[in-house]
Amino acid sequence: MHISEGVLSASVLAGGGALTVIGTIIGLKRVSYDRIMSVAILSSAFFVASLVHLPVGPGSVHLLLNGLMGLILGWACFPALLAALFLQAVFFQFGGIIVLGVNTFNMAAPALLCSCFLRPWLFAPGFKGAAAAYVGGFFSVLLSSLCVAFCLALTDEGFIKTAGILVATHFPIMIIEGFVTMFIVSFLTRVQPDIFQMAKPR
Amino acid sequence: MSETPLFELKHISFKYPDSEHLVLDRVDFALGERKIGLIGANGSGKTTLFHVIMGLQTPLSGKVLFHGRPVRNKSEFREMRKDVGLIFQNADDQLFSPTVIEDVAFGPLNLGESPDDAGKIARKTLADLGLSGLESRITHRLSGGEKKLVSLATILAMNPKALLIDEPTNDLDPATRARLITILNELNQPCVIISHDWDFLAETVQDIFGLDHGRIIRCEKADLHNHPHAHPFGGQPHHHV
Amino acid sequence: MLEEPFSRGDSFFHRANPGMKIISAAALTLVVALSRDFVPVFAGLFVSLLLLVFARLDSRMVFRRMLAVNGFIAFLWLTLPLTYGGDVLMSVGPLALSGGGVRLAALITLKSNAIFLFFIVLVATSTVAELGHGLEALQMPPKLCFLMLFTYRYLFVISSEYHRLARAAVIRCFNPGTNRHTYRTYAHLFAMTLVKSWNRSQRVRDAMLLRGFNGRFYPMREQTITGLDRVFFAGMLVTVIIIALMEFI
Repeated sequence: MHISEGVLSASVLAGGGALTVIGTIIGLKRVSYDRIMSVAILSSAFFVASLVHLPVGPGSVHLLLNGLMGLILGWACFPALLAALFLQAVFFQFGGIIVLGVNTFNMAAPALLCSCFLRPWLFAPGFKGAAAAYVGGFFSVLLSSLCVAFCLALTDEGFIKTAGILVATHFPIMIIEGFVTMFIVSFLTRVQPDIFQMAKPR
Repeated sequence: MSETPLFELKHISFKYPDSEHLVLDRVDFALGERKIGLIGANGSGKTTLFHVIMGLQTPLSGKVLFHGRPVRNKSEFREMRKDVGLIFQNADDQLFSPTVIEDVAFGPLNLGESPDDAGKIARKTLADLGLSGLESRITHRLSGGEKKLVSLATILAMNPKALLIDEPTNDLDPATRARLITILNELNQPCVIISHDWDFLAETVQDIFGLDHGRIIRCEKADLHNHPHAHPFGGQPHHHV
Repeated sequence: MLEEPFSRGDSFFHRANPGMKIISAAALTLVVALSRDFVPVFAGLFVSLLLLVFARLDSRMVFRRMLAVNGFIAFLWLTLPLTYGGDVLMSVGPLALSGGGVRLAALITLKSNAIFLFFIVLVATSTVAELGHGLEALQMPPKLCFLMLFTYRYLFVISSEYHRLARAAVIRCFNPGTNRHTYRTYAHLFAMTLVKSWNRSQRVRDAMLLRGFNGRFYPMREQTITGLDRVFFAGMLVTVIIIALMEFI
């Protein structure tokens, strides 16, 4: 869900960039040096996830997993996603330098929001925990695509219908992200629960 | 052997993309009814041979035959994998489900069993291997020996007609090693076992082949004999497992 | 898959100071991205093509990447001309092609591709390790550079870990489809990759602390700024200013 370079207006680029700088500064403050390696692991995992293609009907989609990043990392998902998106730009030239701030914000802010609201329920046994994880995966993608749509619409009103189509085409991805996030969270809470200690401020 | 072997390799050559050296050089190989041991130095291509058989690596030339018919594309390999099970050298590469029962049931589910039946098959397989009680354990936290036996269970649950086992005795303690020998001897399926461990092969297989410079050579079956050895309390009466 | 195909080579851009290259790329990107007129965008595209010639990159690879990057652009071409509104260029049945939409899509296409080429020539010609140290030299927070370098380091570890596990699913006849079993399996493969990498990161941290790591990497090769770097950088800035001025002519 990268916006290409050369699409957005100056004010949108500046706004997204500024918000990402703030998020990244707060995120970095909350991570001590000896935990950076664990954050890096999750950034790389996020990058690798974007290379994993899941079948949907006749086509395929790739995973986003920004919701999972938010649930695990909290504020630290800002620097983590910034690093991952920068590397995606270097490796595959998706996105770019100037639009990096907007792209990071569009992925990280929804993830952080979901994390704030859902974490209290995440560790509840049974349906509650599973539902919280599903909602986290689903809404992170939904909100991210809405952020992208909003950036486009702010740039030029003529983009509004295009933006609407963009949100609609992400609908299947939201459903799949919900399931995948739910299964991953269920796996991690059983096998390596301390992974979720990352988000706690020290 | 008069009837068609389960699978055969005909003139298989293989090299890795970034190297000039042929890992497999026109290898012919067939698995009939017997248990076969395969030895060779590190890097001699034993594991590659297994991966070529399973279709994980594509050979430079030559073909893989399954029931006498060539296996060429993805779906034909998928058919073959229903009947030929591969157990990786490192059990950590094989197990990926949160709990043991889910991992063992994964294969049967892929073969089209219902979740209930897959669960039953998984439980029975674990019981047959003497692993009852591990069902709801977290696979990631099992001991090395338990992981090895569970990874064997994940393949046996699919009821394969033949097994390829890659270095099963690596890092096993003597008790688990003995248990593995018993299990393998009770299996009716033909299998190919890669091992550096001559003693282990002597107790489990009927023929031993070597892989050297990309070629398969037949080795004479080793004769059982004694070596002097040492360990603590060796002077007291004892027996070895 | 995980390669940096453009970082190998021996052109001027491969040897130039990474920090200066990053700033040049950012400035060129900014000035082209914000243009609303075709003239400066064409000028930008011309400069980017010129740079590409001097970088002597594998042209097949550049073309392949260019196609991939134009996915979002293709989506804009499919939607914008039909939905933008305003003046009608031509109409076929109920579909009206908007002149404004076509103009905007064309402008964005040119901009994106010019900027893509700036990026390939000025950023992708350095390895990530060099870029990390370059960013540090530009006074980016060291923690962020550290995070980026480690993310990069683990990419290969994690992706090969994932592929090893995926192999285990393949040999057990896993046949992906549109169903719950498929999504659960991918989730398990991914989560197990995460758990193993996580535990590995704890061990790496311990190993680094034992070797006296204090939160700073020392690059093996100091990045120096040569006279040629300064001349190039000045040239790029002049180019940026000229393109910016074109906007107002």
